[in-house]
Amino acid sequence: MILLNGDNPIMAYSTMLQRSVGSVSGLASTLAVATPYIFTGLSVAVAFRTGLDNIGSEGQLYMGAMAGALVGIYLKGFPAVLHILLAITAGVVAGGIWGWIFGWLKVKIKVDLVVTTIMGNYLAILFTSYLANYPFKPPRAPIGSTYFVVDSARLLRFFDFSTLNSGILVAILMLILYHVFFNHTKTGFEWKTIGLNHFFARYIGMNVPRQKLWAMFISGGFAGMGGVIEVLGVQGRFVQNMSPGYGYDGILVALLAGNSAPGIFAVAILFAALRIGGIGVEQVTNVPSELSQVLRAVIILLVAAQAGIFYFAKARRKKQHDLGNTVRS
Amino acid sequence: MNTSAPLAVEMKGITKIFSTQVANENVDLDVRKGEIHCLVGENGAGKTTLMNILYGLIHPDEGEINIFGHHVQIQNPMQASRLGIGMVHQHFKLVESYTVTENVILGLEPRKSLFIDREAAYQATRDISAQYGLAVNPNALIQDLPVGVRQRVEILKTLYRGSNIIILDEPTAVLTPQESIDLFKTVEHLVKGGKTVIFITHKVKEVMAVADRVTVLRHAKKVGILERGDITEAAITTMMVGREMMLALEKKPSQHHEEMLCLHGVTAKGDRGNLAVKNVSFNCRCGEIVTIAGVEGNGQTELVETITGLRKAVSGDITINGKSIVNHSPAEVRATGLAHVPADRISIGLCVKEKVSENLIAGKHTIKDFQKGIFLDWKKIKEYALQAVKEFDIRTSSEEDLVQNLSGGNMQKVVLARELLFQSKLLVAASPTRGVDVAAIEAIHQQVLKARESGCAILVVSTDLDEVLQISDRILVMYNGEIAGEFNPNTTTKEELGAYMIGILRQENMIKSASMVITHD
Repeated sequence: MILLNGDNPIMAYSTMLQRSVGSVSGLASTLAVATPYIFTGLSVAVAFRTGLDNIGSEGQLYMGAMAGALVGIYLKGFPAVLHILLAITAGVVAGGIWGWIFGWLKVKIKVDLVVTTIMGNYLAILFTSYLANYPFKPPRAPIGSTYFVVDSARLLRFFDFSTLNSGILVAILMLILYHVFFNHTKTGFEWKTIGLNHFFARYIGMNVPRQKLWAMFISGGFAGMGGVIEVLGVQGRFVQNMSPGYGYDGILVALLAGNSAPGIFAVAILFAALRIGGIGVEQVTNVPSELSQVLRAVIILLVAAQAGIFYFAKARRKKQHDLGNTVRS
Repeated sequence: MNTSAPLAVEMKGITKIFSTQVANENVDLDVRKGEIHCLVGENGAGKTTLMNILYGLIHPDEGEINIFGHHVQIQNPMQASRLGIGMVHQHFKLVESYTVTENVILGLEPRKSLFIDREAAYQATRDISAQYGLAVNPNALIQDLPVGVRQRVEILKTLYRGSNIIILDEPTAVLTPQESIDLFKTVEHLVKGGKTVIFITHKVKEVMAVADRVTVLRHAKKVGILERGDITEAAITTMMVGREMMLALEKKPSQHHEEMLCLHGVTAKGDRGNLAVKNVSFNCRCGEIVTIAGVEGNGQTELVETITGLRKAVSGDITINGKSIVNHSPAEVRATGLAHVPADRISIGLCVKEKVSENLIAGKHTIKDFQKGIFLDWKKIKEYALQAVKEFDIRTSSEEDLVQNLSGGNMQKVVLARELLFQSKLLVAASPTRGVDVAAIEAIHQQVLKARESGCAILVVSTDLDEVLQISDRILVMYNGEIAGEFNPNTTTKEELGAYMIGILRQENMIKSASMVITHD
């Protein structure tokens, strides 16, 4: 495809590698972009593991970003660490509630979660756009945005040349918490069990509706946290349409990662590297950065196909095995 | 039976190995034209595998098959059907919202240009059912038909496809004694009409009732073949099990008599909004095994779900140990000391994608012993699981293995271990031995009796009358959502229970008798 465009593909690919992971600045940019992917990946993974089809991370991210931005702008006179914690909390609560609501609709009146969370995305994006264009818009701002957050709410940037900030550390901390929670706590065990078989969970005496509501809150909370970190660490304010689909990509991250913490980290880095590398390629060659999206799609298809092949092979073996079992037991 | 009749089916040296298990090992099967050939053996002896091979669902690793003297390789059921082989599976494959005729012709419809020739279809169904004495209304919807009639429709289906050899896979498993007798008559009709029938069963009495010849399988091998004159109960049983069966369970009289479970006029709705449980009252005391016998689908499942908190009652009261628990959550009901073995172990009783150890502690995962600070103490859980695996003789490669890799009997032992290891006061067990091999059935019954001796009140739901008569202290028969009668296992018979199970008879004093105290020791 690159050849068709009249470019040297080898150069394009080496540029992509060079720009994304081949230098300190490239690596920093990649990690910076990976941060929101980790958060939305976690958001989706929590829901998926608990058997909830939450694809509303995008909207939850916007709600969290707006709430965090407002706390960052209008609460003043706090020491930096406390201010940041307050902003993050606000984001988590906002995103969490924006997940919880749809969890409630699902649990109480059995409305399909996929439908409501997609609708919720539009609601959240348009609602925060409205806030950024009318009540909270600074005069003469060229686009819909809020004021910048005060300095005490800014996250520490590690370098001058990159937006990489301490948010990546928060993301890694959350990955560890996620891992420990699902593997070593009784509530994590309950969520996992509910995700694998909610009939069993109910029969054995777990409070399925309550745990599902909490899982939706935490799922939304992770996305909201991702939104706040993006505001406090990268943009400095809430900007309308600030997410290039982090929430939707989070679904891919979680799926490709098989909901595992190390997997989420690896896939987030891969997605970020493709984006950063793609931009680099565009600058050096005539290859448009969209090509990296094509590459990403190819990777997803390959992984999915491979998973599919494994799945079918396993299903086939299992079928034979099961037939054997039904016969023998 | 003419011993020189040509062979309809000749299977020679059939071997089939599933990844780790040998399902058939060098098995021979000769079925003569026009006979009723019983294929018997315990669960897991390889009967169904052998028939699935004949029907083209499974391909053998070794061996050859001759049909009416012609060597064939059967690749799929469609080819089997062309060779005149039809199979009626244990689980019927019928479209419930279609009529009998539509089900019979499905896939092989008579046509009038582009359209289905409904008149011809109706006629064909009528003709076949008349010819073989399969009484059924061609225009009835399947969903309105009782199980026995649905089975007739399945047989009609195979006949419509021109089958000469008809395989019936454990056909009586779902039938009442009366329906079974009707089936035997049907089978005789089929043979009179020139068909050959292979009848799979593990019930010796049925073999006695229908068989012309018997082939016995045990542990994947053919043990022997019995000709008409040699068929006796003792001969079959010995060949099947390889030893004399311990038929009677030893029961010690119980020392406890307090009332543990009590139902008063409980009414509950089924999934479709129909009244599935109607005004049911009975009680169950400590150290007593009360069995609810009945044909599947007469409200037993709904009743169990109502007692265990999984389903809401419309009216009535349920108490466990004197505490009203009607419409409480499953967790609250369990807190009163309930152990529950559900009928559907795979989708409700277990989380098959989790480890054996996780399944053993699920529900008990919140108790202090399994915690270390805010975390789960996996070391202690492992120790506990190992002990449970040993005590209940759960055959698994490791307590870390996923439950889905276990056989049915061992899965059920996992459920029982989890439910019984925590000193429960009341055990509600629905079909605890369904689909489980004889050795595991014995083990499960022993565990249930052990719980009884320790003073646990036990309510068992079962469709297997042998089991009901074997383990009960008291029998209740459920029909159409109501308790149709109460019986003493020492004085009743299968035939009597059967008559109540299908609604021919009914005791009118049931509500009164629920509050009566009866002791059988």
